[in-house]
Amino acid sequence: MATQHVPTANGTAMNGATSLVKSLEAANVDVMFGLPGGAILPAYDPIFDSTIRHILVRHEQGAGHAATGYAQVTGRAGVCIATSGPGATNLVTPLMDAGMDSVPLVAITGQVPSAAIGTDAFQEADIRGITMPFTKHNFLVTKAEDIPRAVAEAFHIATSGRPGPVLVDIAKDALQAQTTFNWPSKIELAGYNPKIVPDNQAIADAATLIAQSKKPVFYVGGGVIKANASKELAQLVEILGAPVVTTLMARGAFPDSHPLHLGMPGMHGSVAAVTALQKADLLITLGARFDDRVTGKLSTFAVNAKVIHADIDPAEINKNKFADVPVIGDLRETITALIPALKAALSKSQPDLTPWNNSMLKLKTSYPVGYTLPDDGSLSPQAVIERIGQISGTDTIFTSGVGQHQMWASQFISYEHPRTWLNSGGAGTMGYGLPAAMGAKVGSPDSTVWAIDGDGCFQMTNQELVTCALNNIPIKVAIINNESLGMVRQWQTLFYEGRYSNTSLESKRVPNFPMLAEAMGCVGLSCERPEDLDATIEKAMSINDQPVVVDFRVHRDAMVWPMVAAGTSNDEIMIARATAPDWDSQEL
Amino acid sequence: MSIHTLEVLVENEPGVLARVSGLFARRAYNIDTLVVGPTSNPEVSKMVIQVNLEGHSLEQVIAQLDKLISVISIEELVDGAKKPVKDTQPDYQN
Repeated sequence: MATQHVPTANGTAMNGATSLVKSLEAANVDVMFGLPGGAILPAYDPIFDSTIRHILVRHEQGAGHAATGYAQVTGRAGVCIATSGPGATNLVTPLMDAGMDSVPLVAITGQVPSAAIGTDAFQEADIRGITMPFTKHNFLVTKAEDIPRAVAEAFHIATSGRPGPVLVDIAKDALQAQTTFNWPSKIELAGYNPKIVPDNQAIADAATLIAQSKKPVFYVGGGVIKANASKELAQLVEILGAPVVTTLMARGAFPDSHPLHLGMPGMHGSVAAVTALQKADLLITLGARFDDRVTGKLSTFAVNAKVIHADIDPAEINKNKFADVPVIGDLRETITALIPALKAALSKSQPDLTPWNNSMLKLKTSYPVGYTLPDDGSLSPQAVIERIGQISGTDTIFTSGVGQHQMWASQFISYEHPRTWLNSGGAGTMGYGLPAAMGAKVGSPDSTVWAIDGDGCFQMTNQELVTCALNNIPIKVAIINNESLGMVRQWQTLFYEGRYSNTSLESKRVPNFPMLAEAMGCVGLSCERPEDLDATIEKAMSINDQPVVVDFRVHRDAMVWPMVAAGTSNDEIMIARATAPDWDSQEL
Repeated sequence: MSIHTLEVLVENEPGVLARVSGLFARRAYNIDTLVVGPTSNPEVSKMVIQVNLEGHSLEQVIAQLDKLISVISIEELVDGAKKPVKDTQPDYQN
């Protein structure tokens, strides 16, 4: 049960639409992203007078990803609002995306009047049914008096336990009807009571197992960031002194500069991070979920490792990988409890981790993530991303689209702080980066926000640059323009004999990205030569009163390495085409 | 045995059958039979579901069911008697 602050408007007569806005205010919403239409129109009248900042987007998908970006940066629920039918279905991708990455999101949609539901009315879509599979929960509200409770429950469900998206669909007649505002003083959901504090026995078992292990590795997932547990994690790592890997969703949860940080595991992970998981005798899994992109072929993943699996979601335990010690609870609570328990266990027995650490650190030194510059002297996409990271600094917030540029942004930018790396990990949503950057900048206006985007991704959601230009949201967008759907092209190179079916976008010819940016009220820049790279980035950094778009025209054939091909074992990691690490020179 | 019978108490609200049956469909769990009926509490309905596991773990089926906000409690029926679900999955309810 959660208790709620009761607003002064309680007991006041108003219509359902006003009660919706009062409810959002009572839920401490300060900004929402949306676009009006017929069914939600009653709500937009009281929005006009509300203290809540409403940012009018150009496409509802942009509203959804912006709300996600806002949520990822602030840790608070992001809010988006749309009308019925196509307005609502345009939110489907962001809701699915937020579900896959456990983002607290509340989506409000208008629905046709309750009497018209089920008649194939104009702009009618069963958005509750459509979003059932990937929302954490959803509501269809047909009575004005039910609006405050549904909104209160939506925010509670979205932000507690394992965070997730919640949709509140409200029939137009419920928005128009007269009601008395009644914000609930407490929320009780018989079927929902997330376990926050872990069991003492589980903590003790985990500590004992860690203290017996000779080859432990911290397998850190995005849950550490959701739980704001980075500081506690750093303490835990110091106590044990074992290597750390951070997944794509956890970049920034633990500083890249830390000597024990081996980098990112998975399909495009570092040799050291992938190998550490494969050869470990214990995975200390913290808020990670054994995704197929991390495990590779599951039957060959970490076969000699025992598993401690700490997660707030019981359904993640034993889903993909058996957990010897499951620990259910909030990760900050879990790690905080584990620190003294581990100290006590280590005071009784402390195996020497030196040989294990040394072999992993040797791998890290032997096989750093790197790249070769193009032979023809053209611009290297990895160099562009690396220099943006270096020039912009570690307080910058980075978002990305999905594909090669996303992997390079995770590999070649150094992340030191949580909530500075936002991407679409589980869903792999092309077009996520730009609207997410918009939401991130709104959530953290004093931070520099760079969207590292691809030329393909950019062309999916760039309409939100207009929103950014008109609403003083000066984001910076780096288009890593290799005139291709680069990751798909890479797979065609590797697995389809270089038959480049429908992956050439010709985006060095059309569109003219700088002119497109200028047309949308942004500054458009272009860079084609390595010698102009730093000056172009610095020029972009110097513009803070307008969004900036830089067309980095890069070499087309660069590939993402290392790579574990889909469906193969992590043991078959390649550091370049047909090139495995020299395992004989390593002591594992 | 791969067929198990679950007695599931759910919120009596529109769409709850779709939530449960949709979960089984999207996670490829096989329902042999499903019966829904009232309880003495008008706000709560009871579902009796026979699930044919066919390679899925009962623990995982129960954990995923438990994630549905509308699901209040889950018990396994063995020879007509209720058997509390194994506590290897510390659940949301207790």
